[in-house]
Amino acid sequence: MANPITTLRNSAEEFKQLDAKDKKRTITDSILNNALYILMLIFVIYTAIERPNFLSLGSLANLITQVAAYLPLALGIGGCIVLTGTDLSAGRVVGFTAALAGVFLQKADFANKMFSFLPTVNIWWILATMLIVIAIGAVIGLVNGFFVAKFSLHPFIVTLSTQLITYGIILWFFSLNGNNGQPISGLSAEYKDFVGGTMFRLGGVAVPWYVLYAILLTGLMWFIWNKTTFGKNMFAVGSNAEAAKVSGVNVFWTTVLVHTLAGAMYGYSGFIEGVRSGSVAANTGLNAECDAIAACVIGGVSFVGGTGKISGIIMGVCVLRLIFVALTMLGVDSSSLYIIKGAIILCACALDMRKYLVKK
Amino acid sequence: MDETPQSREQPRQLRGLYSHVKISVRALDTIIIACVAVIVILLVIDLQNPGFTITFDSKGGTDIPCHNQMYGELLELPEPPTREGYTFTGWYRDYACDDLWSVQEDTITQDITLYAGWHPNS
Repeated sequence: MANPITTLRNSAEEFKQLDAKDKKRTITDSILNNALYILMLIFVIYTAIERPNFLSLGSLANLITQVAAYLPLALGIGGCIVLTGTDLSAGRVVGFTAALAGVFLQKADFANKMFSFLPTVNIWWILATMLIVIAIGAVIGLVNGFFVAKFSLHPFIVTLSTQLITYGIILWFFSLNGNNGQPISGLSAEYKDFVGGTMFRLGGVAVPWYVLYAILLTGLMWFIWNKTTFGKNMFAVGSNAEAAKVSGVNVFWTTVLVHTLAGAMYGYSGFIEGVRSGSVAANTGLNAECDAIAACVIGGVSFVGGTGKISGIIMGVCVLRLIFVALTMLGVDSSSLYIIKGAIILCACALDMRKYLVKK
Repeated sequence: MDETPQSREQPRQLRGLYSHVKISVRALDTIIIACVAVIVILLVIDLQNPGFTITFDSKGGTDIPCHNQMYGELLELPEPPTREGYTFTGWYRDYACDDLWSVQEDTITQDITLYAGWHPNS
């Protein structure tokens, strides 16, 4: 009965309408999915206009230095998040290993040296200390991993308790040998040079050696995640532990090793943090895990599990540091920083879920 | 049927850490917009009054009012405080007066409290 031309016109109109709707939807989707990046871009442009030296080479050097300091921690936690877990003990482990590194590498003639029997600081002793603190971090990670893997306890519970236990050990350690909880200072010049010595200068601002170490470490982690069986198993366990088990992956050891590797990264971060903080206090490393988790989530390491890239984590750390460098240069009150951080984490998680739901 | 626009409002099963989360895309959109709004509002409020607060503890000397300075600036020295029977030796980062603030070199990077150093007159 209907005129074929009218029908055609109607369907064309419908198609047009649908297309417009789809177009609108696509635009809304892409704006929402990239909300954090768009916000950051506007903010960076604003900062660059307000403070022209934000775009200087010196500011770039500052950013690189900060990224290098926070990256290892995020790389460690990234593995735990791929396994749909997390690690709340990271900050305290950093604090503990920083304190150990500080005590091991105090100046020989320092009046308040905690342990006078320790050897004089030379390059071998520095390297040995680095390995010792990495090993101690790894042991704490191993404990986390064991409880998570063996009893299928949620990592929140396990790592929360190791966080508190580690803090107790830190407080106990700081009161050893008549130290009475004072910060550990008087770090030897060799240690300071090894970590924070100038590698080269960029726009008059020194870029320290630990930037190079962070690059090497990132390369190593990229290799582990992408080129080894262990890395592939990690993603398999993260996306579906049952299926991974059926196809012959050792879920227990994969989980234990991911946490151990993360612990080793915190140990390394502690070694760096000792020099960065100048003198190690009991609160060094407090809340460091929050920044690392936020960086991972921003960088697309999803709590859904089994997804994440090293490049994403680098991106996440860069975005977060860029925001904080800009906020500092603009002179924003530090109490607001915490609220902003919280909002960023919540927003990043919502984005993470949104991408998953819409894609599916 | 599953791909109709209505299905966007239906909660779908998430995995991993979110496996017990039941939330619609619309609710997520609201959360995202709310978070962005909070960040923007906080930034606007904070940028009305930027700068880091420099507080001076004169440790028994005349009171020095605090002031605001921007990132990367050298410290603007206030009038030195005075104290009966003591000579002012400078501003220090710590209460024990071990770590002198270098007026020529040190720049402001955060909120800071400086402590007056005193040397007793013989």
